[in-house]
Amino acid sequence: MVLVVMLWLSVPDFEHSVTTTDKCEMSSSAASSPVIALHGIRKSYDRLEVLKGVDLTACEGDVVSLIGSSGSGKSTLLRCINMLEISQSGEIEFCGDVVRWTGEGADRLPADRQQVIDMRTQLSMVFQQFNLWTHMTVLKNVIEAPVTVLGQPRDEAVADALAILKKVGIADKAESYPAQLSGGQQQRAAIARALAMKPRALLFDEPTSALDPELEQEVIRVIRELAAEGRTMVLVTHDMNLARDVSTHVMFLNEGVVEEEGSPEDVFGKPKSDRLRQFLHATSQTPH
Amino acid sequence: MFSGCEDPSRLDGGAWLLCYLTTPTHQSFYLAFGTVLLLLAITAPLSLLFGFGGALASRSVIAPLRWLGRGYIAMVRGVPEIVFFMFGPIALDQAFEYLRHRVMCPDWSEPVRRGNDFVVCTAAKLPLNADPQWMHEIYGFALAILSFAIVYGAFCGNTIRGAFDAVPQAQIETARAYGMNRRQLFWRILLPQMWIFALPGLSNIWMILTKATPLLFLLGVEDIVYWARELGSAKTRAYSFPHPNWQLWYFLALLVFYLGLTRVSEIVLARLNRRLNHGQATLAGSGRMAAGR
Repeated sequence: MVLVVMLWLSVPDFEHSVTTTDKCEMSSSAASSPVIALHGIRKSYDRLEVLKGVDLTACEGDVVSLIGSSGSGKSTLLRCINMLEISQSGEIEFCGDVVRWTGEGADRLPADRQQVIDMRTQLSMVFQQFNLWTHMTVLKNVIEAPVTVLGQPRDEAVADALAILKKVGIADKAESYPAQLSGGQQQRAAIARALAMKPRALLFDEPTSALDPELEQEVIRVIRELAAEGRTMVLVTHDMNLARDVSTHVMFLNEGVVEEEGSPEDVFGKPKSDRLRQFLHATSQTPH
Repeated sequence: MFSGCEDPSRLDGGAWLLCYLTTPTHQSFYLAFGTVLLLLAITAPLSLLFGFGGALASRSVIAPLRWLGRGYIAMVRGVPEIVFFMFGPIALDQAFEYLRHRVMCPDWSEPVRRGNDFVVCTAAKLPLNADPQWMHEIYGFALAILSFAIVYGAFCGNTIRGAFDAVPQAQIETARAYGMNRRQLFWRILLPQMWIFALPGLSNIWMILTKATPLLFLLGVEDIVYWARELGSAKTRAYSFPHPNWQLWYFLALLVFYLGLTRVSEIVLARLNRRLNHGQATLAGSGRMAAGR
């Protein structure tokens, strides 16, 4: 398997990148295969190529942050993981299970719908605009997928949900509708919804970008807690402080390729490429 | 009705009026209000069902079903109601009779269509000639209901289709991201959210439907407009209750009835709208709409 992956990485850009499966054995747990592994993901909309062969590995307990300017493809990459966007080539591996495809290129689709559904139930996503279901109360939002999709008994799901809402600090908002909450509360409710699935990994798509600085902090606090618990997460963010603090691995995307990646200390402290230096300067994260 | 009513010419004032208002023809008039309400009670859910079916078909991934749904909505919506009500029941009646004819009288050799005539074997007649009068009336009423449901179903279909399309993509995408399959997504997310967008359009159709009930008259059902015209017209000495032209009063009664129906509808629809919008990020949901009124 490792050999196959290495062969895949024949693109010269990736020679220096910290790669793949062996890293999992070094990090914490017994799980030998990574939770999420992407190999050579390519995606284009018509003629516009958004991802030009991207690799990503997230082992148990890893927090992988994707940074880069708007349009660099980081959100698209995240959405390729749970197949909200269908990549045109490259492989997606989830807990050792490789996604099966049918068709080629622009016509490529997952061959097994159930496989996709199974994957999605173990990969909870948190969206930039929260995307709480507007016709349900917070509590119903949290128990919806566990009850409907996983078939968890309702009272059990409610008990779990209340515990999770307490943890993210909005237990008193259980019976409110999303529109009645502040942005920060909505995002915490969305995180509670994600946690209720007891996922193997969490996908965060710019979770704080729609919030003003004050509300941002309450969400960041929750994300830090989750990272400290050792949850596997892939985080797309514009918040460099957050990326620096919670990540085990940072990837800088530029025009659809991974320009530079490594530990947060390396990426933020010793950026190698000009593009990254520029980017960090622009986001006022001068290297130190 | 009352024993004192046998010779109305000797009555006057209140007694005369009481006897007048309880004649058998007046009772038919009162019953006609029930007919109108019954028509609404059956047609409204049936239209909703037709509309729902039409909307789902028009959004189907199966092409022939999609064409059927779109064709139904476009055609019926595009034809004037009156034309459709004239044509619908006759066409439906002939279609039913023709189908029965093919099944029940396979040996029949003469053509069914002969110039202007449409002749099926006696056994295929709907209802049978031997059937009692009330069967004929029920059958006529049923055809009327079906025509109403087809017409207003098409309008409902268009409204519901639009409402489905108005549900934000992000809501659907989130459901998919949480592993919902197509069926779960439809019943748990798409359908409940669709109603919020559909309700204003559907309530409009309901109001139009209530006002369209006098068209029953066209379909041969003796409705309240028919009776108001009939009873209100001037009656000569030849009648037991002679009176000048009282149509104004009769139509005034209809006005009150329809206004009452409108008011009740508005109250119910407003309550429904409030419930659907409760807690939603809409003007109605924020309660600001009531303040602005």
